[in-house]
Amino acid sequence: MSDDVRRALQRIQAPDEIEAQRRAWALVRASFDAREPVSWQRRNRRPLLIAAVAVVALLAALLSSPGRALVGGVRDAVTPDESTPKPKPALVALPAGGSLLVNSSKGPWIVHPDGSMRALGPWWEGAWSPNAEHVAVTRAHRLAALTPDGTIKWALSRAKLLHGARWSLEPRSECCRIAYINGRQLRVVAGDGTGDAPLRNVVGAVAPAWRPGVTRQLAFSTIDGRIELVNVDTTKTTWLSAPGDPPTQLIWSDDGQRLLALGERSLRVFDANGNKLWAIGMPVGPSGAVFVRKSHRFILIRYSPATQRSDLVLFQAENTPGEPRFLYSAPGDFGTLAISQNGDWLLVGWVNANQWLFLRLTSAKVESVSNIVEQFGGSSRAPLERAFPKSVSWCCPASP
Amino acid sequence: MVGPGGKERSWIRGARAGSVSDLEALFREHWPRAHRAAYLVVQDAAAAEDIAQEAFLSAMRNLDRFDGRRPFGPWLHRIVVNRAIDWSRARALRRELAEIPGSEDFDTGDLGTFSEGVAAGLASLPPDQRAVIVLRYLLEYTPGEIAKMLEVPRGTVNSRLRRGLDRLEAIVDREQR
Repeated sequence: MSDDVRRALQRIQAPDEIEAQRRAWALVRASFDAREPVSWQRRNRRPLLIAAVAVVALLAALLSSPGRALVGGVRDAVTPDESTPKPKPALVALPAGGSLLVNSSKGPWIVHPDGSMRALGPWWEGAWSPNAEHVAVTRAHRLAALTPDGTIKWALSRAKLLHGARWSLEPRSECCRIAYINGRQLRVVAGDGTGDAPLRNVVGAVAPAWRPGVTRQLAFSTIDGRIELVNVDTTKTTWLSAPGDPPTQLIWSDDGQRLLALGERSLRVFDANGNKLWAIGMPVGPSGAVFVRKSHRFILIRYSPATQRSDLVLFQAENTPGEPRFLYSAPGDFGTLAISQNGDWLLVGWVNANQWLFLRLTSAKVESVSNIVEQFGGSSRAPLERAFPKSVSWCCPASP
Repeated sequence: MVGPGGKERSWIRGARAGSVSDLEALFREHWPRAHRAAYLVVQDAAAAEDIAQEAFLSAMRNLDRFDGRRPFGPWLHRIVVNRAIDWSRARALRRELAEIPGSEDFDTGDLGTFSEGVAAGLASLPPDQRAVIVLRYLLEYTPGEIAKMLEVPRGTVNSRLRRGLDRLEAIVDREQR
């Protein structure tokens, strides 16, 4: 039987093998051409530098004097064992105004300030429009714009799988655009579903990020981990970074002057002109980061394989990381972060505990809510790392 | 698997130094089997192409860190097969969430009944079993090598192979009847 299987497998061909090989070679070649040759010295110096920076950052965090809060009065070390109140069994209200858009394993949900929730349907992920008037959703080959009650305003389909839809930040949806990834292509469509067109043909997988405060500038990743900022009207490149760890998230500060590129094993911090301000390597890449409102400080999830704990650490996106501040710690994984519009509250997804933590950034208050998976339609028997909501965004007050 | 030949070591050295022709030689040597392995595990042409492409790009990005004394194939196949397993599991999960269009059937062309039966049988196996069958019988790794690639005990590889072959045999018999 085994020899027969061997012969049979060797006869089965993937469809379109020759064309697939041609396409793949073009891509590999393009990426290779874009690669910077690396000398032996540089090849061996960079990991050492990154390790040294990481050690310095860690030491700085450990040696920093506690208590002088950089974000209001957040305590430097709050362990859930000591101080977290007993979690509430259900989310009955949000601690601050606005609405949450939750990408759960059962699709996107909207949570209103009074705790009421609405499932938007069997879509895979969603993203707010400005002012939460609409939600851009994707599922397999389909992109759609929904009203917050789940009504489809328009939809389009493309041949390849779609993901990473992000609505531009102008104040009204009619004037805005949605950038999304179609296979490897970056495309942009108007907020009313018209004018869909490619912007770049081969890009990295990370969702693009519109630059706040500057109309129609979009950051995305190239396949070799460069970050490119493009003007979507002229399609011209504003700046292009050096190659790096392919990013998993791109996050702008509120004023559009700083950009974080979270990678699988690193964090890079850029200014508005594409200059890399600093970078650190990590054994496990950060699963989330969020800028403190109206600030260049940001809170990063840092997981330590040695202790199997996640920390929230505050850095600054300036010429140096500053003195990192340890804010909070818990065993296991923190999966997502979201900050309220007024900047007072931080939502932390605590995966292993199946909880959301709400940290008040202006005092030491912590609230927690349990049974998060079940509240968003998931099964309590499913592994938490799969069933726990992947991302949350906390937006402005929803339209009625 | 034997160690890399002189040609492969030379291609890797050349590619590291920036030679496109050496990179192309490496690509042409390894692409067909990597692509086919991905296809046999995920059973979706577009996904297989993406997975094999990503694996090559990842391997290329890390070429400077690759130990040139070791063969390139296992390094690449490890990336391909693990990504293919992850993709298949994610698809299975998404199917649980909502009915989505299924993957295309295997493009068996005019292969004859036995190969068609194997293709159909392979499609019915869980991704973990498909992966070990592909690693063993398409890429011809030993169970010990497969265990290292997938980071599972050797006994697990053997049991997955046994169960997979038994199931394939049953399906092929049924298809041929």
